[in-house]
Amino acid sequence: MVKAFPGVLALDGASLEIKSGEIHGLVGENGAGKSTIIKVLAGVYQADSGSIEVFGEPLKPITPATVHRAGIRFIHQELHLVPHFSVTESVFMGQEISSPAGLSKGQMRRRAESVLKDKLGRSISGRKLVRDLTTAERKLIQIARALIDDEVRIVVFDEPTAPLASGEVVALMSAIERLKNSGITIVYISHYLDEITDICERVTVFRQGQSVAVFDTVTKATGSDLVTAMIGREIASVYPDSNRNPHGTGLNVKSLGDGKSFQNVSFEVGRGEIFGIAGLIGSGREELVDALYGVNKIRYGTIEKDSKPIKISSPAIAVANGIVLVPRDRRQDGLVLPMNILENISLSVLKQISSYGFLNRKRERQVAEQQTAKIDIRPSNPKTVTRFLSGGNQQKVVLARWLANDANIFILDEPTVGVDVGARVEIYQLIADLAANGASIIVSSSDPAELIGLCDRVATMTRGVLSGVRITETLTVDRLVALTTGATQEPANVT
Amino acid sequence: MKNLFGFIAVSVLSAVSLTTSNTVLADGHLSLEGKKIGVAVVGTQHFWDREAFNGATSTVEKLGGEVVAVDGGRDNQVHADNHDILLNSKVDAVISILGDDSVEPKFEALKAAGIPVFTVDHPSQHAINNTTSDNYYMGTTIGRYMADAIGGEGKVAVFNAFENALRICGIRTGLWKYVLQDYPNIEIIQPELAEEFANAPEDARKQTLDLLAANPKGTIDAIHVGCWDQPAIGVVQALEEAGRDEIIVTALDGGPDTLEIMAEENSPFVANVAQQPNLIGSTAAMNVARHFHGDSLLPQTYVDVVPVNGAEGAKEAYKQLGYGEL
Amino acid sequence: MSLETLSRRSSTSLSAAIGAIPLILFVGLLIYFGLNAPNFLTVTNLKLVLVQSLPVMLICIGLSAVVMAGGDDVVSGGIDLSIPATTVLCAGIMASLLSAESTGLFVASIVALLAALLVGGMNALLVTRLSMTPLLTTLAMFVAVVGVNNVVTQRKRINVDHDAINAIREPFFFGIPLGLILVALITLIAFHFLHRTKWGLNLQAAGGSRDAASISGLNVNRLFGQSFTVASVMGFVCSYFVLARGAGSSPGVEDNLMVEMVLATFLGAAFSPRRVVTMWGAALGAVLVVAISVGFKSMGVNVFWTGLIKGSLIVVVVATAALSQRLN
Repeated sequence: MVKAFPGVLALDGASLEIKSGEIHGLVGENGAGKSTIIKVLAGVYQADSGSIEVFGEPLKPITPATVHRAGIRFIHQELHLVPHFSVTESVFMGQEISSPAGLSKGQMRRRAESVLKDKLGRSISGRKLVRDLTTAERKLIQIARALIDDEVRIVVFDEPTAPLASGEVVALMSAIERLKNSGITIVYISHYLDEITDICERVTVFRQGQSVAVFDTVTKATGSDLVTAMIGREIASVYPDSNRNPHGTGLNVKSLGDGKSFQNVSFEVGRGEIFGIAGLIGSGREELVDALYGVNKIRYGTIEKDSKPIKISSPAIAVANGIVLVPRDRRQDGLVLPMNILENISLSVLKQISSYGFLNRKRERQVAEQQTAKIDIRPSNPKTVTRFLSGGNQQKVVLARWLANDANIFILDEPTVGVDVGARVEIYQLIADLAANGASIIVSSSDPAELIGLCDRVATMTRGVLSGVRITETLTVDRLVALTTGATQEPANVT
Repeated sequence: MKNLFGFIAVSVLSAVSLTTSNTVLADGHLSLEGKKIGVAVVGTQHFWDREAFNGATSTVEKLGGEVVAVDGGRDNQVHADNHDILLNSKVDAVISILGDDSVEPKFEALKAAGIPVFTVDHPSQHAINNTTSDNYYMGTTIGRYMADAIGGEGKVAVFNAFENALRICGIRTGLWKYVLQDYPNIEIIQPELAEEFANAPEDARKQTLDLLAANPKGTIDAIHVGCWDQPAIGVVQALEEAGRDEIIVTALDGGPDTLEIMAEENSPFVANVAQQPNLIGSTAAMNVARHFHGDSLLPQTYVDVVPVNGAEGAKEAYKQLGYGEL
Repeated sequence: MSLETLSRRSSTSLSAAIGAIPLILFVGLLIYFGLNAPNFLTVTNLKLVLVQSLPVMLICIGLSAVVMAGGDDVVSGGIDLSIPATTVLCAGIMASLLSAESTGLFVASIVALLAALLVGGMNALLVTRLSMTPLLTTLAMFVAVVGVNNVVTQRKRINVDHDAINAIREPFFFGIPLGLILVALITLIAFHFLHRTKWGLNLQAAGGSRDAASISGLNVNRLFGQSFTVASVMGFVCSYFVLARGAGSSPGVEDNLMVEMVLATFLGAAFSPRRVVTMWGAALGAVLVVAISVGFKSMGVNVFWTGLIKGSLIVVVVATAALSQRLN
């Protein structure tokens, strides 16, 4: 079975060959082309050139319908289930069995239960509602949906374990093994390299739209080889000098948890320190950051600032305590796009510049101009509407907003996503300056090189647990990737 | 009892009902003791509706009866449905005040259940008796007054939503039109306007402003409201807003609110025919008592009206009807 | 048992408890009426309540289809506020045509049905093709359609005395009005199509999760559009009952219908074990809402207070629905 096609941008001549009856892993960094090739395979995207063969027969044209007819099924990363539907209704969605007298409920339920039990090894009552199931069970429902007709020959799993806790992963893995043993070919995409080495027989590595390596035999030992193949790029020296002098404790987080996404997280950030948090999507990193800012609810644990316990139940309280967030989606959360630079900056300093509810226009302009000068926003006209600024400059406006405020703890979530290298350097410098002035900085990022280049220490999050804090001098990109993907399980040397 | 009797006795205008009720009352047999009387009214926002309702309920109570009251909130369908509740409350008789023909099926059901229905301003084949003003006199009088006020010629706009829907309005507006047949120089502007049943003053104000915008000075001489006078309040407001003092307003009902407007200096509201809603409601209740007493009732009981012509006439009528001094 | 399971269990049971609040409230009110309002718990009164609830029940069936297909988020989900307007328009059209001597009931019905389908089609088009919010679209449509009806009827009451329409309110057998039997039949048919067929389940899937439905190969927009058509047809059917109960078309009927329709449909969710809007829940809700209305009046509560109480009940019902959804 051969699938090959060269594309223009996202896919640059990538090809993928999967042997009948195997579990084939697909790995690569974000943007490497994994999801593009899957979407082409699913008939969602049209390839510019290239072809697909299924069991030796060319698939043409490639549309969702023909792909389905060829016996290929996709288990999407998102669950896509109706919470108030029963298991039976969910499994049969769109493929219901009905007679002129109406739905054949009993027949459907027996079928759904037998597919779950025989093919996936889990007994779940067809009458149960999806919302009463665990996440792993929901994942099985989603898989059962793909198996409900007997035509299925190939199942493609896209990040199936992302929403699961580690205990549940094992159950899912055994279900997938079971499927393979019944003769179904499986394509398995995951960021978690330990899963890949556990379950896959062969692995294809994607990088920059190309398939760069194929591993024919996969063992635990090949984990680090996979990482090397995935990274394979040099890191530009865009980071500021790191001869900072962290002292004392700015923020002290003690066994924090939200009951869902992260548990028992503890760490300290010194004054003048840049502290990084690494972790894959679904590792609890984003939820942790949101919790620190009061967006996500904290169920237990304490946060101390300057040795005083504080309760952050809303962003307003966080700001009042001098904790500010530069959000990952600045277009959505960080800026009021139709407003100009001046108005955006004054939004967060309204208390300083308004009296009795009236805006002091002159003062507003003064403050905004100071900030604009300080951080070199271009164009420097403060009346420019922020919608028209470049990503880097928008990010700088978001920073300027908080600089104008008296904040001393900065949480930066993906500070350089969608920012070009030039603006990146300036933003890094700005962050370093903040730290030099004694602020505590927390940087949450999915870019390992950024974390290593910018931060003093980096914490790694895996499956909702903070698995270690390391001084960046001891880290390499490979090792950090290995740590977050679970390819290495070295003991956490918390510093 | 004595007070009520006295009130009716001094009411020189209700000569017809006076004589009948006098004879029956005098022998002291008229009573609603132990009877449960349902009173359904279409709404209680407007003076007329409220007074008719008050007249009916207070008289039932004075005659010793128990009142079960339902209010339609000026929604004809709700009013109609309310009769079901009276049916279910096992009342002995129902007084139904106003309402459009959506109540007819309910009257039929009440009749079938052996509950006699007495109406106010709503003639119905299913009712024992309808108490109402002398609508014939109202229609012709307001026709003559209006024709005189515009010198027997000119263009007239009319609010006429209910001529076909309510029999009383058919009489009032029909006879107004009948009188105008003898004035070939008076023209009714087409199409006729239709006022809202609920929220009438504000709706009429808006419609009048639109009408004035479409008909410049000199092309319209009078605005008449065919069956009642709540919309006339809005019409007068609109005329003042637009500064169109050449147009006169006429309408029917003559409650204290509209008489006050008429009594103002240079009021455009020049003619009306005032009714006695409280007496009408009270008479309906008396008719219920007469029915239970064994008297046979005529299908219609008419209560007299007071023609009101000009500001002085309004002041006079205000006093005469016992609303006070203007 | 994992922490996750525990915390979900507790939030599910809490959300179930909150979802049941409206039901508890309504049942409490009914018991109160039974104890205090004269003749409330009698067969006559039950019949009265059922008969009065027929028009509301019919449009509730229509609304529930739209809510099921569009999701029960009150703001962004499926809702069709224009149904009562469709009803009065159809009633107005039929009343006008019937009062003109040359037109028979059949022709009048065809014209009214076409008008209803036009309204439903417009709703479907605006919501699915232009991606307009159903709430705003159908509210605007409500205003527009009532306007058209005012033009058609000149805002006047039009009497209708047609044997076929009168028959709806008249006893059919054992004193049960024909209308009640017809609505029972319509409800059963609607229940079959909305809850017992592939199409009905697909409709619910579309409303339950747009993404899940489209990934399963369902045409979500087509299903949503179809639900608006169903709603407008139910609006049309309801117009016969409005004409029958009022012996004609009276202006202003739409407001009360709208309030009771929304209240009943979302209250109906409290009946469903899954706490979602269902067709049968909405129909039961209609009976309950009318029962409450009758109860208050039997108690002699002022009509304006009844308005306040109904408004507050809507708030409670919608708020608890939102709250229980958030907890889930």
